[in-house]
Amino acid sequence: MSEPALLVEDLVKTYPGGRKDPAVEAVGGISFAVAPGEFFGLLGPNGAGKSTTLGCITTLVRPSAGRILVDGVDVVRRPAEAKRRIALVPQNRNLDRDLTVREVLTYHGRYFGLPAAEREGRADRLLEELQVADKAHAKPLTLSGGMQQRVLIARALMHDPKLLLLDEPTTGLDPQARRLLWDVLKALHRRGLTLILTTHYMEEADRLCQRLAIVDHGRILTMDTPAALKKTLPGGEILDLWVRAEAPLRPRLETIEGVARIEHVESHGDGDDGIERLRLFVDSRDGLLDRVLHETRGAGADVRHVSLTPPSLEDVYIHLTGKELRE
Amino acid sequence: MTAFMALLRRDLHVAARNAPLLLTGTLTQPILVVLVFGNILPRLHLVADEFRTVMLPGLMSITMMMAGVQGVLMPLATDLSGTREVDERLLAPIGVRGVAFGRVVAGAIHAAVAGLVALPVMMLLMHRLAGSDVRPDWVALFPLVALCGLLSAAFGLTLGANVEPRFSGLLFAVVLGPMMLFGCAYYPWAALTVLGPLQYVFLLNPLVFMSEAMRLAVTPGTPHMPLPLLFAGLAGFGFILTLVGSRAFERRTIL
Repeated sequence: MSEPALLVEDLVKTYPGGRKDPAVEAVGGISFAVAPGEFFGLLGPNGAGKSTTLGCITTLVRPSAGRILVDGVDVVRRPAEAKRRIALVPQNRNLDRDLTVREVLTYHGRYFGLPAAEREGRADRLLEELQVADKAHAKPLTLSGGMQQRVLIARALMHDPKLLLLDEPTTGLDPQARRLLWDVLKALHRRGLTLILTTHYMEEADRLCQRLAIVDHGRILTMDTPAALKKTLPGGEILDLWVRAEAPLRPRLETIEGVARIEHVESHGDGDDGIERLRLFVDSRDGLLDRVLHETRGAGADVRHVSLTPPSLEDVYIHLTGKELRE
Repeated sequence: MTAFMALLRRDLHVAARNAPLLLTGTLTQPILVVLVFGNILPRLHLVADEFRTVMLPGLMSITMMMAGVQGVLMPLATDLSGTREVDERLLAPIGVRGVAFGRVVAGAIHAAVAGLVALPVMMLLMHRLAGSDVRPDWVALFPLVALCGLLSAAFGLTLGANVEPRFSGLLFAVVLGPMMLFGCAYYPWAALTVLGPLQYVFLLNPLVFMSEAMRLAVTPGTPHMPLPLLFAGLAGFGFILTLVGSRAFERRTIL
């Protein structure tokens, strides 16, 4: 196998505590490798350690332990060389507010020592490609969130990085802007760029990433292609059942043929309204839904909602953690 | 080096664009002080004539100190704000200390320009300059102004990297105010022998060396600190503050 574009080995980051607050272990031993040209995703809730991991890769956070190699270059020992190979689209839209959009790009080119002709040409081409050419002479803060995000990507591409890291790039964008951004990222991937994305949107991870690590509490819970992750679920489909029940329902449902597993879902925000949410991993077969409803009614329970869907990444996540993704 | 020069170029580009605003901000105060204490009061014979000579280099040093501190403090506040614009700089192929030093050099240029513009303006506004001791020694002036600029900006970095931006107003009242009053701007350090050993406590204030340096360069005929002590003070404080400031900057930016 050729050298990985990124290698993270046993990465640990503990933020030291203050007088009042204890030390926080944001990343507790993460390892993964990303192949050249791969689109890799870190999926997990806020506070899972995704941004800290990206911070360590980009030299903005000092790792407590572990090793990170970008294209074979150790980011802690040789940060300047590593920084030439990576680019970051940060979660905060941190465009230089004192410059115009075009200057943001050309100055970024200067920082990386691009000759004048190259940086001017590349800036114009990227502004065009990312559909922000008409805003070239505007100040970044006057742009919409989606446009700022595209300028951030254009800026990141100015020095022709080998590895592009995106930290929650679509958070706060409207659906249209989000789709446009997805198209941009897919096009970059087709062109051979290695991309690493963090997100807490399941759909985004599913659509874009070739391989995913699901992260929670600073650790990788599982890592595979989205399809393979979904296959790890028992049964072939998910039956979501919301009921108001007096008597325990699970023992009755467990006897039904085709029900591989039943999980109780802790759901957030809907309060103590007495509604129980069950997730059944089932082999879809004729009459299964009928039997489930029959048993439920037989137990004197009141069915509030029922749905039968193919498994999604969210189901994988719930299966792994026993809870819905914290938004 | 390329990245360092590019970052500096960006800072100077932005500063040049805002030049009228920046100069108005730093020149208003010394101009008003000169008008009152160097022009009106001497005319009314409420202030001795010698005071004008003593005050002019002192005001120049205050102007540079304020310009240098603000020239670093304000961009740093933006850098470290919620959006962390500083990350763009930190991702440039250059060390963190290099990024910090770039800010110091930009602030120093700001301070030096402010000082060099303030001097002729103040000379112009002063009452009966012809009879005074103001005779700038241009050869000594430029290198000393450069050193004073670096010292001011390094002080700005130390303050900006250690103090939350929301407290910067307090900084001017509690740190810079007393510093200016006890910075030998309005009296020569040599004359403080009247205070006994307390005279040496004043040497803890970096502004003292700046005021004395300007005295040497602008009013060479008046009493001032000997050059070796002056140079040691400017270079020593400049070096220590750059070191302390860039360390604090690194702690603040790299988590």
